[in-house]
Amino acid sequence: MLNINNLSVSYPDGNKAVDDISLNLEEGKHLALVGANGAGKTSLLLSVMGILSFEGEIIVDGIRLSKDNIAEVRKRTGFLFQNPDDQLFMPSIYDDIAFGPRNMGIDEETIKYRVDDRLKLLGIEQLKDKTALTLSGGEKRMAALATVLAMKPSLMLLDEPTAFLDPKVRRKLINILKSLPHTMLIATHDLTFAKEVCDESVIIKEGKVFARGKSSELLYDEKLMDEGGIEAIGVER
Amino acid sequence: MADIRNKISKVYSFEQMSRGNSIIHRVHPMAKIIVTVIYILCVAMHTKYRLLSLSPLLFYPVVVTALAEIPGRKIFAQSLVALPFCLFAGISNIIFDKKILVTIGVVAISGGVISSLAIIARCLLCVSAVLILVATTPFAKLTAQLVRMHVPVLFVRLIEMVYRYLGVLVEEAYTMIMAYRLRSPGAKWPHIKDAGSFLGQLFVRSMNRAERVYQAMVCRGYESGIYANQNEKMKLSDYLFMMIVIVPTVFVTLFI
Repeated sequence: MLNINNLSVSYPDGNKAVDDISLNLEEGKHLALVGANGAGKTSLLLSVMGILSFEGEIIVDGIRLSKDNIAEVRKRTGFLFQNPDDQLFMPSIYDDIAFGPRNMGIDEETIKYRVDDRLKLLGIEQLKDKTALTLSGGEKRMAALATVLAMKPSLMLLDEPTAFLDPKVRRKLINILKSLPHTMLIATHDLTFAKEVCDESVIIKEGKVFARGKSSELLYDEKLMDEGGIEAIGVER
Repeated sequence: MADIRNKISKVYSFEQMSRGNSIIHRVHPMAKIIVTVIYILCVAMHTKYRLLSLSPLLFYPVVVTALAEIPGRKIFAQSLVALPFCLFAGISNIIFDKKILVTIGVVAISGGVISSLAIIARCLLCVSAVLILVATTPFAKLTAQLVRMHVPVLFVRLIEMVYRYLGVLVEEAYTMIMAYRLRSPGAKWPHIKDAGSFLGQLFVRSMNRAERVYQAMVCRGYESGIYANQNEKMKLSDYLFMMIVIVPTVFVTLFI
């Protein structure tokens, strides 16, 4: 579903945010990207969407990302931003969810059905006519997720999906993500979340892949995680 | 500041109304735009002393509001926002035009008073016509029709962005003012000596936020801003709607 070969992303000052990373992700699998702040996780995700310019090769669902087919890749890829406020910019949640499908040229009748369906799936029907200004953090996160799901992407990129969430909403989100059939690449600091949702995890350090392995093993490896710049699950100092 | 947030929410509440399914909501957006523009032109064409002849034109906001099942009181209340501007425009008439035109009993009414009232009435009618259009047509459909009418895409995109970023700007300003108040006991608004850096920060923060919002839009397929499925053709009922509104409006304007 996703093949990344020798990907490099540079900041305007020449420093590399992502440095020669190669990754592959099979259909239906969930892969966690873990790493310290500034390790390059978000840059990697943004480059898959074609938001950041890059060197190397990105293939999504068989399509090699280039200027000519960027729209096609974006149709197949959903991106959940770290801050849901960035994702909710329309006057109502309905319009926010309908925004992507409308850009895809889908007719209003189908959009209406799709919006209602996604709201129901996430249990947020009551937010349909509200504006994002009046929602709680958890409600905003669910609404932002609905905006992504409404596009029916085959690949989902999630940037810190559990940020700003209370334990109850976090649990709800975990259960929802586990139930979804989509292929997912998730950047997160929340290691217990990564362990529950993702089959595999990758440690990113200074823009490079430092280690990759089963979440249930890698995230508990105190020595490896420490060298990767993060704290393993269960470590208390 | 919370008051401004509420006001923005009120503005956006028109978008919620626009998703109704009444007979007026189902009229083609192009037909509604044309009707609104002609209605406004007709209202504006009334000469300054024609106050009573404006009364038949009330039929449009009253009847359409009822048919659209939208709260008429809300439309009227929102149209009052324009009142200070009309008063400002009309006040000079009262001062300079003192010719007595009507006498009711012992009360003499000058041409200035009548023309000022006519300005207010015309202004309220025009604003309510625009509000009805917004309350019965989703914003995305409106902007798509503007492009079909060959309004420059850049201009339409600008309107879209202003509409969307209004909430973003208010949200950023709200956060900053809260942070300011918490560290400046007793201060409601930033002190004048802090205003420069406050506004500068607000600008930078809004720019950054706008950049992220734009990325989110691009990720969901935003390119030209014009939705691909807004090319439906007008039906016979849409032409009928136009005739029913335009013919009497033009007749009243020209012959009454």
